[in-house]
Amino acid sequence: MRILLVEDEPRLAENLGQAFREIGLAVDHAPDGPTGEYLARQGVYDAIVLDLMLPGKSGQALLRDLRRDKKATPVLVLTAQEGKESIVELLNSGADDYLSKPFDLGELIARVKAAIRRGKGVADPILRIADVEVNTLQQTVLRAGHLVDVSPTEFRILEYLLHRPRAVVSKQELLEHLYDYDWAHHSNVIEAHISNLRRKLDTSGREPLIETLRHRGYRLRRERDATA
Amino acid sequence: MKPRSLTRRLTMTVLLFELLSFGALVSAAIVYERHTHFKAFDVMLRGRADSLLGAVQDADDAADNVILDTTGLDEHGADLYRVEDEKSRILGESDKKGWLNAAPAGDGISSVNIDGKGYRFIRIHGVRVVDPGEHGGVSHAISVVYGVRTGHVWHEIFASVRFYAITSLIALGLTAIAMTWMMRRGLAPLYELTGKAEQLSAARLDFEAPQSAKETRELRPLSLALESALARLDRSFRQQKRLTSDAAHELKTDVAIAKSSLQLLAMRPRSVEEYQQGLERCLEDNARVERTVHEMLALARVEHCETRAADGERARCAIRECVEKSIQQSEAFAQLRQVKVMLDASADAIVGIEERDSLLLCANLLLNALQHSPAGSTVRLSLAADEQAMILTVRDEGSGIDVGDLAHIFEPFYRGDDSRDRKSGGTGLGLSICRAICERAGGSIAIANRAGGGAVATVRLPILYSQDIDRASVEIKEEA
Repeated sequence: MRILLVEDEPRLAENLGQAFREIGLAVDHAPDGPTGEYLARQGVYDAIVLDLMLPGKSGQALLRDLRRDKKATPVLVLTAQEGKESIVELLNSGADDYLSKPFDLGELIARVKAAIRRGKGVADPILRIADVEVNTLQQTVLRAGHLVDVSPTEFRILEYLLHRPRAVVSKQELLEHLYDYDWAHHSNVIEAHISNLRRKLDTSGREPLIETLRHRGYRLRRERDATA
Repeated sequence: MKPRSLTRRLTMTVLLFELLSFGALVSAAIVYERHTHFKAFDVMLRGRADSLLGAVQDADDAADNVILDTTGLDEHGADLYRVEDEKSRILGESDKKGWLNAAPAGDGISSVNIDGKGYRFIRIHGVRVVDPGEHGGVSHAISVVYGVRTGHVWHEIFASVRFYAITSLIALGLTAIAMTWMMRRGLAPLYELTGKAEQLSAARLDFEAPQSAKETRELRPLSLALESALARLDRSFRQQKRLTSDAAHELKTDVAIAKSSLQLLAMRPRSVEEYQQGLERCLEDNARVERTVHEMLALARVEHCETRAADGERARCAIRECVEKSIQQSEAFAQLRQVKVMLDASADAIVGIEERDSLLLCANLLLNALQHSPAGSTVRLSLAADEQAMILTVRDEGSGIDVGDLAHIFEPFYRGDDSRDRKSGGTGLGLSICRAICERAGGSIAIANRAGGGAVATVRLPILYSQDIDRASVEIKEEA
């Protein structure tokens, strides 16, 4: 999952970025309103964490413009403003959630994860397909009840695919959603991770869980297909 | 205490004056009526006496006497009269007798009281000649005393005065009613203004005086004064509110940073190096919270504290010394930024600021200039004096200040759009503190862009002590 952090306060952005990366999210940081808007319009983010007082363009205006242009990325607003009215106004102008400063880092992370889930149309933090169970909170993967040891990147790929069952996900999309923009993008890396994932998840004699569609990308098989 | 009513006072005053004029009118009416009625009365009295004199006729007797023949005269039953001839023979008198003693002896008209009743008497004399045709005739000197009761005259006088009195009283009553109504109506704009003013509260300070009040000449100054006073109050309330909310925002952000640094460190077990680095960052963040709080407190102190020091003496300091000290203090920073600092002090004076505030002012301006100076440039400070004030200028050779920011540069927490002060560690309070210090000392501060590039800050501080004393003190210092 890749999120956009729009925050002008460098130290806060640094801390939040590091915290998000440590839980396995790819983070892009925008230090001001216009940059934030430009990045948000790319449509590659699974959630946006938005500060309100930004140089160049206020968070509120940014949010309103995004929503007007039908960009539906979940937005969590960080606000230091007082008062119920501004919160109501915020939610009405398209924010999905808000947190007032000073916030609890754990709460922020939980809320960002929830925002990502809801953005994908999922309410349960435990994702299931066939006999695979992915716990997004504990970051564990179970296959037929047995714990499978996956690397963080493999986990993120699997999590992303699980959020989009039956859809064909291209390598480009995976790259966009798994890595920050500072990362060197190599589709070979994705291929290697997918291959590792297959090896760890698939038991012999069964259809592979992750299906490769040549020149198009990857797709998760649903239960029926897997047991057929 | 019962409030005084202007309406009542005015109405009462008008009514009192009206009542007084009513009294005067009634008195004048009495005098006038009395005069005219008695004048007519006297004419009538004389007429009656004359006709009685005319009724004295020849008696046709041998002695050529005269008699009073009242036949053909109008009967005035209540009148008193007595007609005598020169021998004091009574020719005739009224039915009622025994009044003669009371009647006046002199000629002319006079008023007399008989048996508790007012009478007016006239005494006239006439000559009656009997048989003038024969031998010169016999002349008789006749005197007539005639009295008429005056009761009905007074009655008439009072009747006509009563008419005036009643008319005036009705007019008085009508005036009272009309005045009350008119006053109430006339004061309607005042009540409207009051009603509008009653709606004011701390949350709602926007006030526009009703049109009716503004169109009333007497209420216009009050309406306008209220409007402008409330507008000023509203503005300062808003400013205060914004300052509070900005301060809260600032503090919350700083606390959020410090908290997130700690929580980030606690997210998972880390190596000793990571902990060490993390702790260092936490300390930095903490220092930042501290600085923000410190500056907020400094601003609050400068803005709201008494201008006099604790020992009751007026705050004062030598400005040149403070400038020099602040230059010393920022020497390290200037070296780090590779900026030269030059002072050109052509004057010195004692100004009315506490020394620590003066230092804060100089240091803030100097650090600001240093922060915006490119490496290798020079910051020039100058101290000069005019008749009333010391003028301190700080010039840098930086890129100057964005025109859009110039108007807001002294607002608390204001930062230019590129948020550069935040990055460079400022809280956005430095210049607000400077302004508060200058204004408290009765001076001023201004910042402008120089034509040749860079910014210039100009501070004017009123001189507290005359130049002679300064010069002396400077010389002493130099000797030492």
